[in-house]
Amino acid sequence: MKLSAVQEALPWLLHAAVTTLWISVVAIVFGQILGLLVCLCRVSPNRALARFGALYVSFFRGVPLLVQLLLTYDLLPYIGIDVPPLAAAIGTLSLASGAYSGEIYRGALNAIPRGHVEAAQALGFGPVAIWLRILLPQALRISVPSLVNELILLLKASSLISIVGVTELARTSHTLAAQTYRPFETYVTAALIYLAMNLVLSGLGAAAERRLAAAGH
Amino acid sequence: MSGQPVVEMRGVTKRFGQNEVLRGIDLTVNRSDVVCLIGPSGSGKSTLLRCINFLESYDGGEVRIDGRLIGYRDEATRRPMPGRDLQAMRESIGMVFQQFNLWPHMTALDNVAEALIRVRGLPRATAADRARAMLAREGLTDKEAAYPARLSGGQQQRVAIARSLAMEPKLMLFDEPTSALDPELVGEVLQVMRGLAAEGMTMIVVTHEMGFAARVATRVAFLDQGRIAAEGTPRAVLHDSEEPRVRQFLQTYHERNDF
Amino acid sequence: MDFSVYLHYWPKLLSGFGNTLFCWATGALLGIALGFALALLRRTGFAPLLWLLRGVIEVVRGTPFLIQLYLLYDGGPAIGLKLGAMQAGILALGIYGSAYFTEIFRAGFAAVPRGQVEAAESLGFSRLDILRRVRLPAMLIAIVPALTNMIIILSKETVVLSVIAVPELMYQMQSMAAETFAALETIIAMAVLYWLMVEAAARLGRAAELRVTAYLRVA
Repeated sequence: MKLSAVQEALPWLLHAAVTTLWISVVAIVFGQILGLLVCLCRVSPNRALARFGALYVSFFRGVPLLVQLLLTYDLLPYIGIDVPPLAAAIGTLSLASGAYSGEIYRGALNAIPRGHVEAAQALGFGPVAIWLRILLPQALRISVPSLVNELILLLKASSLISIVGVTELARTSHTLAAQTYRPFETYVTAALIYLAMNLVLSGLGAAAERRLAAAGH
Repeated sequence: MSGQPVVEMRGVTKRFGQNEVLRGIDLTVNRSDVVCLIGPSGSGKSTLLRCINFLESYDGGEVRIDGRLIGYRDEATRRPMPGRDLQAMRESIGMVFQQFNLWPHMTALDNVAEALIRVRGLPRATAADRARAMLAREGLTDKEAAYPARLSGGQQQRVAIARSLAMEPKLMLFDEPTSALDPELVGEVLQVMRGLAAEGMTMIVVTHEMGFAARVATRVAFLDQGRIAAEGTPRAVLHDSEEPRVRQFLQTYHERNDF
Repeated sequence: MDFSVYLHYWPKLLSGFGNTLFCWATGALLGIALGFALALLRRTGFAPLLWLLRGVIEVVRGTPFLIQLYLLYDGGPAIGLKLGAMQAGILALGIYGSAYFTEIFRAGFAAVPRGQVEAAESLGFSRLDILRRVRLPAMLIAIVPALTNMIIILSKETVVLSVIAVPELMYQMQSMAAETFAALETIIAMAVLYWLMVEAAARLGRAAELRVTAYLRVA
């Protein structure tokens, strides 16, 4: 282990880590919107919608992310959509995140006691009011720990977009390793940067969870 | 009567953190005694019972089984006794739990035979024969192959009793054996226990069944806040005691069962 | 789109599929064995060992599988670890999996009802017999869903092995795509194949779960 090699690589890797971080955050934000839609589909009384939601979840959770990424890259030009690799990568990560988040929200909805809805119905709440005032606030709160976990998973999974050519942390470390002939030092440093980001994220998640718990539960 | 008591407890204390659960328990149980421990919840009854087979360690005092200290090598240093010795002492002390604690992945027969094989070292076939006989005694022959989930609470508890009895213990501990049962199933379990008492088994029973205590116990001990507040014959404790805490406890008990 | 290209490539694809299954199975088995050993070590309760193990598990769980794979395969020789691509791939799968499997086993041990252990203790069981006859069966039943879930996750990670040229299905498909210029057909076929495989594995897992928990159900 040569420390000078680490020192040389560090600025490049940190720069690339910023890319990894913002890509992951953007993807998870879009993922939440998709996730809520998927969840609504799955719990919908409309059979076709529910079926579509289940199929969506099954596909994006069943097909390896790398295959999904390559699929996007090859399919989009074929059907005449021309987007830069970065956009396609973020799009694919968002779609996948939507499947996982959708299931988290559905689980959270199931965890809300049926009595809460019945109490609201008995008081004369309409379905929209029940969703906005009773179900969603609780589901979001129950989901926080799983969503933090999901963000960490996404951050790690985002390393795969390096294979389709996006210059983020994994890609940069791969290039550096080849250039400097110091793969061990480079990858250890990259691994530690991923670890640091994830530890910070899980720390923030734990803090948010405590805040929510303190705010009333 | 050998003169030697089966269980001797002297000044037994136990605390969970700040909470003193037992504050100096003295209790002697002789052969063929049936001692019922009663008292409000949180009074330390179950903890006391669990100290007797050292499922719960005690902090001060001593618990002796047939004159032998359980859990520690000696009273002075209080170093824990070797696991092998503790296991050997526990072999002869049966215990029946409130939640039955049958092993859900074994049939009724295997539940009874398991300890005979693992602990007694009996050959599989011999153990199975003995287990079959134990279940037959309780009228559970048709349930041999059933897994616990398919048995009623009363049947599960009777299998659990058979599991303990198969080891031919010299002492049986019962920790609220009927508290988890639906009311209509309590009777079958109490009947088995009454039969055991009639055969001369030495028993210590933590219970809320005052009728059982009144009719079957040779002695009743009333616990309150970690101390034995009253002890004597069922009549002396349940009817004639002047101790205000006993009277209050029985008062609430009667009110709850009055209709 | 032209799917007829597969006819010419089927022997390669078949061997790729075989390698995928082999890497998956051995990687998962290695991960389970390592994870279980770690879980047992953690039960010893020796504090410095616990911190060390917690640290290692945290590192493995906090870094991407891809980086671990690069580190092991490209970086290994720097610390005297020279592995073939497939060996490195299987070892990486095993190490990566073990960090998750060990948590599953830990949770499983914690899920064994205290009373079942006490019943065995009160009958005079030795610690080893309690582990073998009471804790392990109860634990295994509790963790079947989590276990199958993790095994399925590992199946999806096997495609990542293609980046270090392990000749598994993904790698074979990609080299075929490069030769035939049929990239889209290939990747569509890949997606469908993995989708079916994962669905099948999930169904098998659920069936196994129903099977091992059959006796827990009333009638």
